[in-house]
Amino acid sequence: MDDIDAMFSDMLQEMDLLTQSLGEEAESAPLPKPPSIPDPQEMNFSIGFTDLNASLHDLEDNDLDALMADLVADISATEEKFATERDTFTGSAPVAPKPSQPQSNFSLLASTDTSRPATSYNSIAAPPLPPASKPSKDELEEQMKADKIKLALEKLKEAKVKKLVVKVEIMDGSSKTLMVDERQTVRDVIDNLFEKTHCDCNVDWSVCETNPDLQTERGFEDHENLVEPLSTWTRDTENKVLFQEKIDKYEVFRNPQNFYLWKKDKKSLKDMKDKDKEQLLEENFCGASVIVPDLEGVLYLKEDGKKSWKQRYFLLRASGLYYSPKGKTKASRDLVCLVQFDNVNVYYCKEYRIKYKAPTDHCFILKHPQIQKESQYIKYLCCDDEWTMTLWVTGIRIAKYGKQLYDNYKAAVRKAAGSATWANRTIQASSSASTPSPTPKAKAANGHAPQPAVETKGSGNQTSFPPPPPSMEILPPPPPDPSFPPPPPSMEILPPPPPDHMLPPPPPNTAKVNKFPPPPQFPQSSFPPPPMDDLPPPPPPPEDAELPPDFLPPPPPSLTSNGGEALPPPPPDPFASLPPPPSAPQNFASAGGAPPPPPPPPPPPTPAPAPAAHKPHDSVRKVAPPPLKRTTPQLTAPSGGDFMSELMTAMQKKRSHQ
Amino acid sequence: MAAWDLTVTVEDLGPDAPPLQISVASDLHIGGVILKLVEQTNLKKDWSDHALWWEQKQQWLLRTGWTLDKCGVHADARLVFTPQHKPLRLGLPNGATLKMRACFSSSAFRTVMGICRVLSKKHLLLPMMKNKDSSEELYDLTDVPLTAGSVQALYNGMPAHFADSPKTEAVYKMLSVSLPSSAPEAIAKLYRPASVVDKTHIHTRWLDSSRSLMQQGIQENDKLWLRFKYYTFHDMDPKYDAVRLTQLYEQARWAILLEDIDCTEEEMMLFGALQYHIGKLSLSQDMVSSCQGMDDLESALKSLEVKMVGDSNSTDMLESMTAPELNDYLKIFRPKRLTLKGYKQYWCKFQDTSISYYKSKEDRYGEPIQQLNLKGCEVAPDVNVAGQKFCIKLLIPAPEGMNEIYLRCENEKQYSQWMAACKLASKGLTLLDISYQSEVKNIQTFLSMQRSNSAAPAAQTDDSINTHSLVSPRYQKKYKPKQLTPRILEAYQNVAQLSLTSAILKFLQIWQALPDFGISYFMVRFKGSRKDEVLGIANNRLIRIDLGIGDVVKTWRYNNMRQWNVNWDIRQVAIEFDGNINIAFSCVNADCKVVHEYIGGYIFMSTRSRQQSDTLNEELFHKLTGGHEAL
Repeated sequence: MDDIDAMFSDMLQEMDLLTQSLGEEAESAPLPKPPSIPDPQEMNFSIGFTDLNASLHDLEDNDLDALMADLVADISATEEKFATERDTFTGSAPVAPKPSQPQSNFSLLASTDTSRPATSYNSIAAPPLPPASKPSKDELEEQMKADKIKLALEKLKEAKVKKLVVKVEIMDGSSKTLMVDERQTVRDVIDNLFEKTHCDCNVDWSVCETNPDLQTERGFEDHENLVEPLSTWTRDTENKVLFQEKIDKYEVFRNPQNFYLWKKDKKSLKDMKDKDKEQLLEENFCGASVIVPDLEGVLYLKEDGKKSWKQRYFLLRASGLYYSPKGKTKASRDLVCLVQFDNVNVYYCKEYRIKYKAPTDHCFILKHPQIQKESQYIKYLCCDDEWTMTLWVTGIRIAKYGKQLYDNYKAAVRKAAGSATWANRTIQASSSASTPSPTPKAKAANGHAPQPAVETKGSGNQTSFPPPPPSMEILPPPPPDPSFPPPPPSMEILPPPPPDHMLPPPPPNTAKVNKFPPPPQFPQSSFPPPPMDDLPPPPPPPEDAELPPDFLPPPPPSLTSNGGEALPPPPPDPFASLPPPPSAPQNFASAGGAPPPPPPPPPPPTPAPAPAAHKPHDSVRKVAPPPLKRTTPQLTAPSGGDFMSELMTAMQKKRSHQ
Repeated sequence: MAAWDLTVTVEDLGPDAPPLQISVASDLHIGGVILKLVEQTNLKKDWSDHALWWEQKQQWLLRTGWTLDKCGVHADARLVFTPQHKPLRLGLPNGATLKMRACFSSSAFRTVMGICRVLSKKHLLLPMMKNKDSSEELYDLTDVPLTAGSVQALYNGMPAHFADSPKTEAVYKMLSVSLPSSAPEAIAKLYRPASVVDKTHIHTRWLDSSRSLMQQGIQENDKLWLRFKYYTFHDMDPKYDAVRLTQLYEQARWAILLEDIDCTEEEMMLFGALQYHIGKLSLSQDMVSSCQGMDDLESALKSLEVKMVGDSNSTDMLESMTAPELNDYLKIFRPKRLTLKGYKQYWCKFQDTSISYYKSKEDRYGEPIQQLNLKGCEVAPDVNVAGQKFCIKLLIPAPEGMNEIYLRCENEKQYSQWMAACKLASKGLTLLDISYQSEVKNIQTFLSMQRSNSAAPAAQTDDSINTHSLVSPRYQKKYKPKQLTPRILEAYQNVAQLSLTSAILKFLQIWQALPDFGISYFMVRFKGSRKDEVLGIANNRLIRIDLGIGDVVKTWRYNNMRQWNVNWDIRQVAIEFDGNINIAFSCVNADCKVVHEYIGGYIFMSTRSRQQSDTLNEELFHKLTGGHEAL
């Protein structure tokens, strides 16, 4: 809990800073990360591979906007998903792929998570589309339903789209953080990084992963998806993602003779004519099947479970890596297959002379990508020199990926050529305050989110207030709530729905809103900012769903607090005490930390959340002070993931401080 | 000019009829001779295909405008008046023999082209010449030590269209559908080259494509082999040429079964699995669907259907989107160091891509003992039908390594369901996937095959294929069917979903990726060397192989080649490469024209791939292969 709280406060801080800076257009100094919090621990909760906390700090405004939009999209997606009662898992973890990690501290969170999905489901079931239904729910309901159905398949897919916030280290020691969605290829990510780093866009740039445990490094191939391998990293991993130039990446296409004619003497290969190189490529990569370099030679193989390395005569074939057993010929029939490439990747290794007593430091291993630690299922190989290693690793890559590799190269060359000519433009574009959203694909994903999400995101910077209006539109559902007629009709069902729907929209708005809203909020008399109110509600819903009776009470308070928003009321009540800056931080600030969502409405009925909340609370308190100024509604978008719930709690905490 | 008597044998008068004597003058042209001849026979028939063959000189007198004088024909010449087109028996790559009329008077190149044109006549949209770039060449049968595996049928073929009659349709089917494999014993009996030297003998028998069949001593009704000679295959588009694809597959398959090309055990298992799959699909395939792409289309339609249904009643669909599950008692075994624990029974639930297991059925609503996510895992069968052992071996990746888990099923049905589910899950697919049912069925079929094998080994029904017939004799000896079947089954898992066409293409791909693919061997003696060596000719290079070591000593690539020619007097092929590298060799057991033509043929093929024209440049071909002038 501490971690979470700390993290959230961090995030909030960061968001505040960002928004403020935006307002002044002085985004330059996002401020050092709040020193207050111990980062190492936080990392655990982060997305499993990068430090969420840190990554959020690193996020640029645009990214932030995009992130928010994404989150919104996720929410809507999850709703869809639940509506269809399908696959709860993916839905719950749009951002954090592994919400399941059992941490005692998170027990509360977990419960809120589960409850939330439930509520969202209910909401949809009853009033499928609250927003639209504003005027006459029933009629529109039908229509909306039909529309939704049409998109059902697509949305289902959307709902399953995983997104990760990835921190990429760049050679100069700096790092960039970006949002990567499941469908993006490494090529997309590289293009994205080109935009952010203004490096020369040559074909050698690659995204690599390093594993300090195994001391390995591997460049992702351009056609691979980044999210999948990253999501198999362990939670406490110290693996890193690097962005660097790797000459090996496409060397085989620049100088194919060095790989395909490696037996010939180097001199004759050196000044090979381009025409001949081309032909070599055509012969080997453009036929019906790709021809793998006919590598063969002595390599050292680490013996299973021992520290000794044994020399063997290896041969590379399209079907796998073979060696010829002692006393046998090199004839195909006598070869023993060490490994086939379907399920393994090849990794460069560092300093294996020390680690495994390898004969040289030129080692590579073959392993299943999910294996992260030393294991008998890893094949360790050692070469005499670096060039031999490059030869084998490249050969194995060709055997594994075939023509795809060549296609990747051609695409990279095209890109490099294109970027050279467009360099000026891109630089300008990127330099201007409003950089395009992270990636086209991400945008697409957002497209499914409630109307405002996409546009707002894109235009975020310029249109400071436009966002609010959209939120208003979305809010419509809430209005009914405020009046509280809705509750009566279907006590349990209706209340929750509005919040859910409300939630999605708010985040986007908030993202932009932040930039300008700040002012309004400051005046904040308790909870005036309507959008804000919308956000808080989400948390309550879950509880409401669980405890319908409890829910009833909230309405009245809500009325009192803000006529505008039905749901907001519930939170306010609990927090009512909180608003008073002084007391709030202590008691329920904690609640804000993790459990906050539940606490607001239910606090009285559900004691459980509150206690849990206390722990975080403390930590939160410490942290909270600095950022306090701003309420950061933006973060609240709850999609059902841990991340979301955390955001929620963070939000509430913030509020309380205010 | 003085008249003299010319002796001409007219075949149509019967074998015992005496030769005709006609009175001619030296300035009479060939056309006139034929006219006189026909008048003298008094036979009324269509003589248009007939021409004069000069026996002693082994040449045709085809230029009817030339005079006898110009042709060098004198009174001592013995001429034969015979049809230019004669029946010929062709041994196809698939082992079937086809009887058809071929031209004996034009160059072998043209004759082959004509034959190919007929064989793929069904595809009239194709430019007629196209088939030639598959480069089928005639194999001389006269000294072939083996009879083709099974002489399935003799077809009298010159059909205008294969669809003309049921008979011709059958021919087409034979050509375009892969034939069931023969019994392993039969394969074992076939001639297999035991060494590189043996392989060189095969290649001595290619016909000279610049001379006619008759000139090369081929007689009516002789049997020739039709094979793909050049291993450069352009335009492998199954949509256009089912015959070509099938025959190419057959040639590849036999090359592997007869160990003409070496492969590793793993590769052999995959080849075996693909053969099984292709064989099974071919059997179930009827004439119509043999049209290429049909199966692909079908599956596309199927999935389209699913989508349509989904759209029409969305609510149903949404409900059905709730993934189905498998629930059953299975025995689970996790091998661990130092534990001898055996299989233990659990209640297992398969949902999405995960298996959750519980202590018992009653506990199934609680927390599972463990949940295994199979995405990305390795699935291997561990099955013995005779022993009623149906295990699924799972290797589930985890950060610490692979978790090894065995699932033991009670029976075939259960096994096939769970196995199929595991297989799909490893690819990230759920039970919802449309391929699930077919996957289940595939597994069942394969199992039933094994069952019938063990029950009645000799039985060769349509459904059961002896696994031994899928691998080369070496592996037949090495493994019993009982051992072989699981291994092929394992490889089969990865190909069971392929359509017929893609399975064939996959087979060809793997074949082409073999290191020794496409090398034709010739025994040669290099200039300045005292021992016989082997020259390997591939589509992009020449390889020098030392017979003592059996290893590649040197390779030369064609694109470094400056020129090559033949010294016909000493029958030596000389080649010059960039950098003043000159090599020369004479052929030990083949005519050097064969070698020369082979190299020239590959150069010719490479020019083709560049220009991509639809017609073959015959002149260029002969120029490149003829060896009469340096290039």
